[in-house]
Amino acid sequence: MLRRLLAGAATVACVYALTFVMVVALPGNPFQQGQRKLAPEVVEALRARYSMDNTWLYFWQYLSGALHLDFGPTFMYPDWTCNEIIAQALPVSATLGLLAVIIAVQVGVPLGVWSAVRRHGWPDAMTTALVLLGISIPTFVTGSMLLIIFGVYLKIAPVGGWGTLAHLPLPAITLALPFIAYIARLTRVGMLDVLASDYIRTAVAKGCTPRTVIWDHALRAALLPVLSYLGPATAQAMTGSFVVEKVFGVPGLGQHFVNAALNRDTGLILATVLVFSTLLVLLNLLIDLLYARLDPRIKEAV
Amino acid sequence: MFRALVIAPGLLAAMVLGFFAFGTSRPKADLTYVNPSGIHTLDPARMSWTQDFRVALNIWEGLTTSDSPTTEPVAGAAEFPPSVSADGLSWTFTIRSDARWSNGDPVTAMDFLRGWRRGMEPGTATDYVFLFADHIAGADEYIRWRQHGVAVLTALSRAAAGWKLSPEQAEALAHDETLPEIRAALHGADADAPGEQIAKALHDSDLDWSAFHSRHFELHASELETRFSAVGIRALDARTLEVRLKEPCPYLLDLTAFPSFLPCHESIERLRQRFRGAPITGQGLVVYDPQWTKPDYHQNDYPGLITNGPYRLAAWDFKRRARLEVNPFYRDAAATTCRTVDMLVYENLSAALMAYEAGEVDFLPAMDVPYDHEIARLAQSGQRPDFKLCHVLATYFFNFNCASPTVNGRANPFVDARVRRAFALAVDKDALVEHVLRRGDRVAHSLVPPHSIAGYEPPPGLGYDVDRARALLAEAGYPGGAGLPPVELLYVPADERVCQAVARMWERDLGVRIERRALESRTFAEEKANQRFMIARGNWYADYYDPTTFLDCYANGNGNNDSAFSNPEYDALLDRAAHLRDPVKRMRALADAEALLVEEELPLLPILHYAQPIAVQPWVHGIEPNPRLRFFFRHVTVHR
Repeated sequence: MLRRLLAGAATVACVYALTFVMVVALPGNPFQQGQRKLAPEVVEALRARYSMDNTWLYFWQYLSGALHLDFGPTFMYPDWTCNEIIAQALPVSATLGLLAVIIAVQVGVPLGVWSAVRRHGWPDAMTTALVLLGISIPTFVTGSMLLIIFGVYLKIAPVGGWGTLAHLPLPAITLALPFIAYIARLTRVGMLDVLASDYIRTAVAKGCTPRTVIWDHALRAALLPVLSYLGPATAQAMTGSFVVEKVFGVPGLGQHFVNAALNRDTGLILATVLVFSTLLVLLNLLIDLLYARLDPRIKEAV
Repeated sequence: MFRALVIAPGLLAAMVLGFFAFGTSRPKADLTYVNPSGIHTLDPARMSWTQDFRVALNIWEGLTTSDSPTTEPVAGAAEFPPSVSADGLSWTFTIRSDARWSNGDPVTAMDFLRGWRRGMEPGTATDYVFLFADHIAGADEYIRWRQHGVAVLTALSRAAAGWKLSPEQAEALAHDETLPEIRAALHGADADAPGEQIAKALHDSDLDWSAFHSRHFELHASELETRFSAVGIRALDARTLEVRLKEPCPYLLDLTAFPSFLPCHESIERLRQRFRGAPITGQGLVVYDPQWTKPDYHQNDYPGLITNGPYRLAAWDFKRRARLEVNPFYRDAAATTCRTVDMLVYENLSAALMAYEAGEVDFLPAMDVPYDHEIARLAQSGQRPDFKLCHVLATYFFNFNCASPTVNGRANPFVDARVRRAFALAVDKDALVEHVLRRGDRVAHSLVPPHSIAGYEPPPGLGYDVDRARALLAEAGYPGGAGLPPVELLYVPADERVCQAVARMWERDLGVRIERRALESRTFAEEKANQRFMIARGNWYADYYDPTTFLDCYANGNGNNDSAFSNPEYDALLDRAAHLRDPVKRMRALADAEALLVEEELPLLPILHYAQPIAVQPWVHGIEPNPRLRFFFRHVTVHR
């Protein structure tokens, strides 16, 4: 466990170093907010103030701040600190992402099981088609369609924005759709493998009901690939989807990450990357623990 | 088992997070409008975006304010009109006796002095420092002194911290007359040697950089007040502000309504005390706790943002919403029917338009959607009376690089005015505006939009004349485009359609090869600022009602002169206009200058004057199209 934690910390450190290199290599002045040019003296002074005129010093100062959970100022939005922005945006993205993952698991797993059990039947064909659609239709299309249908025509959901529970379902469903597709596909493949194995045949021969065989014996093993996928998927969903946030006007972390890069907002780029990578590492660790719970063979490895 | 492990804790976590994510929900405001990208800053000294101005001018009030919808200056926090000396140089403003901050404090002349001073300080990194430098007596000298001080202190702080000076810094220090110690430290080395050599000599010197930096810092800090006292702004008493100008400025009352000239409540000083580096940093920057603009920020007895306008900021969630509420101490507070305003953020304007169509939003001040031509058509045909077109005091143009003989290793033919003129003559702007964009923009032949500024008529400019263009190109040594290197056209992806069409016209009519380069906006800005372009798109939104807001951009050495255009005759005409007291003669001189710009020299090729569609629900009254996109909510009434 300790070894895994240390490896996770090393991964985050590597991500920080790589991002830092890319950030300092980016052209463009991070202090430029408007269209008018800032006096070069001012730009120099600001660079010196934030130690940006010395790459190594800046690297260590930012890292030391981040280790104390101080991500420093944001240059594009000078009234805010990176900490405040993350504190406001992360719960939004996390709520949306977590709900999307829950929806994805709740819908994707039964869909995959159904498809595998009725292999080559119409449920399988239908699920395969749905999976294909879920993966191939971009979220800005599904999001916009949901907005038009439920927000503009049926008027049963608000058209974007954030502030009440009513704002949650449409973006959560949009965000969940591709995950549903992947989870259904992974579950189907996993189930097909497991259903062909000896211990399932033994369970059937022992007279277990199909329900017990599928849901108690087969699903536990079939879910292992799904679990592996859920780690990065949850991290991805919880740290925000730029497209879904943009379509629904959700003030999440995804758009800040993309905008920070476009704005050359050095501090915010590093802060969002650090948050994302830390979450990814932690969630992967959590998934590994779950994995061990489901498959005792790999307990030792964890 | 799986459910117990993943789904139940997940749902619980989602519920807890949801509690934090939604925060406190507020009842719907009287008026809801959309600011697509949210507020960048509410610090008046720093702001430069129209959408930020919109919030600022509703929560603050300058000495004057803008009329709605004409946007002409009218009485604000000061009595109107102010008294002006016979030579037009000295203006005395008397603050109204009923001018109040949102906590009930009276607005004083000192508050304006504080606000204006922040707008001049390098530490606030204002985009609009030039407005003070160009107009207020002594401001230019003070700003230059401060900027020079900042440059020197930055270099010295770097050396004091043990880091090497950059060649540029070393060279600047060696030539600085206020630093004789530097020359002495060079020990006879050549002060005119290249920067690297000077930096090395300085690095090897036995100068105690830390002590030197401290001494210089103390000197600079101690001079701050004395130097500022020479700037032409004085609070004669609590209610009287005297402003001395460099030259008579016919549009001063327009400027005093501009955000850079807003006042600042004294409570901000409480944040200075807790901030490291007060009053100035080692680099000479004046710093404030940047969070002072938050309504709920409380440190050192700081009560949160206090403003003096018709509204106060009640809440501000980053990139989500801002809630404005009537300032109870504002003189017209009782008569303001629109008591609360919500500003929502929709990065995607198509979604904002859907929210508008669903009746969730009352007002859209911008509609930059891929189908904006259809919106413009509906607005113009009257099919949607709630869609209106604002003819904005702004121009879209192309800049030609007039200075650099080579660009990215290629010869730059645009240093020759004849080539620039030829390229300008070969663009069919009517076709662009009517058939390519179809947004209701107006064709531009001048930089200043015609009929937009009282008393000013811009020159007719150049039309579309391919034969003349070809002749000019031949005269410049490129008959039929032969010999002309491939021409690089720089733009941002949003300009794809225009640039594609213009490039096609040039290729077809002039026989040249155009290489289009679409760059992401920050990289584009960097390339443009460093003159790494032959032709680059540009635009300018007027800051005040005077042609100089456009024309000054092409003065020699102006920070916004992207073309690096330099013409003594042009500068002389601007200078002459600045000294003329007769408004008719002044405008004529400015029109002559513009004629030189858009008919002879062509550092820019005007393309169009923007039309911006807005949407106002039928139940909202008091929001009218205006050329500066300024909307004042206290004039709004909502009858649902």
